[in-house]
Amino acid sequence: MNKPSYVNGEKMTLSRSELRDIVDLALWAGQMLLRCGAESQRVEETVHRLGTGLGCDWIDILVSPNVLIITTTSGEEFRTKVRRVVQMGVDMAVVAAVNDLKFRLEAGELDRFSLRAELERIDNLPQQYNRWLVVGMVGLACASFSRLFDGDWAVFGVTLVAASLAMTVRQELGRRHFNSFLLVIATAFVAGLIASLATVWHLSDQPQTALAASVLLLVPGVPLINAMEDLIKGHMVTGIVRAIVGGLISLSIALGLLLAMSLMGVSGL
Amino acid sequence: MTFTELVRALVEDAFWSGIAAMGFAMLFNVPQRVLIACVAAGAVGHAVRTLMMEYFGMTIAPATLAGATAVGFMGYFFAHYYEVPSAVFTVSGAIPMVPGVFAYRTMIYAIRITSADTAIAQQALLDASVNGIQTALILAGIAVGIAAPSLLFERHKPVV
Repeated sequence: MNKPSYVNGEKMTLSRSELRDIVDLALWAGQMLLRCGAESQRVEETVHRLGTGLGCDWIDILVSPNVLIITTTSGEEFRTKVRRVVQMGVDMAVVAAVNDLKFRLEAGELDRFSLRAELERIDNLPQQYNRWLVVGMVGLACASFSRLFDGDWAVFGVTLVAASLAMTVRQELGRRHFNSFLLVIATAFVAGLIASLATVWHLSDQPQTALAASVLLLVPGVPLINAMEDLIKGHMVTGIVRAIVGGLISLSIALGLLLAMSLMGVSGL
Repeated sequence: MTFTELVRALVEDAFWSGIAAMGFAMLFNVPQRVLIACVAAGAVGHAVRTLMMEYFGMTIAPATLAGATAVGFMGYFFAHYYEVPSAVFTVSGAIPMVPGVFAYRTMIYAIRITSADTAIAQQALLDASVNGIQTALILAGIAVGIAAPSLLFERHKPVV
């Protein structure tokens, strides 16, 4: 019903104020995707399809690691806008919801005004999982890793406690907006302190497994996977930046752990 | 290894990697209705990798490529089934295979290179390089594997 209007098979030319609205909406959608851990290809494609679905002839996107630049074109008119994007944790519910908008728009279920309302709704989506449930499950996930590394049940228990406490620390520091590398160092330090107890108290034959497994909650899986995916698909700049971010996070984990290990006098290898 | 032993080992492997995938899927706030599919992708992917390593004697990087390809195709299928981007499934499904321990060892050895003892420093440099290259190759395997369906099937002219 609200599909872009066509005259003689050509899209209607949009006014400058309509173009302004579309560039704004497209940037908003793109910003949410990039912020919540989508790879560059998805950001580019979704923004393009939202823009053309709203009636632009063409829309060009520059995806850079922390900036989006969008130009919308209709007839002879064009408008460009830049927006800063701050990367914050991964939120797949937002990625899925924004991705869904492009299908609904193309099916004609949405127009400029309802799209804005939808973006507003997605921006305020509540977390789906209770934070303590996440703490417990992430602790259990790290403990499962210790099983995969052939750790025994003592290591499993120590890892469960260490990773759950570390996850709590991470959430608390995150809420207080600490620098992300500092946050990783502090979290790895706490995980390392507790995991070292397996060695100090001689709980197991391979107590190092607890050390390695309990910091896995910090491993920058999404930046590293996205980095490789961006590089494969030709988004070299974002790929390189994400790889470096992943490397720096790994280095921060190692720093926090080393601090804890030297304090407790244990060896991690 | 007999067949039953292999099956038992694989089931146990799939169980623990499924739980690991579930923890991270919840950390990534995946939509609740697809959580079970993320768990399945994580369990199958890691079990395929273990099968390739234990039974077919592959080294870790190509085995990861095989496991990640399984995750990629599962993600492709689930994406159509649930109408949710495939990244939701592939990222949480690939998490159990991410070379966290290799990255961890790389960094620990890299810091040890600063040791005053030349012999220790040289050995640390060697160990850091080996682990670093393993990390990069495993990651490349994951990325190529989970991107495989889109690289094979979605070959339209670039829109942008």
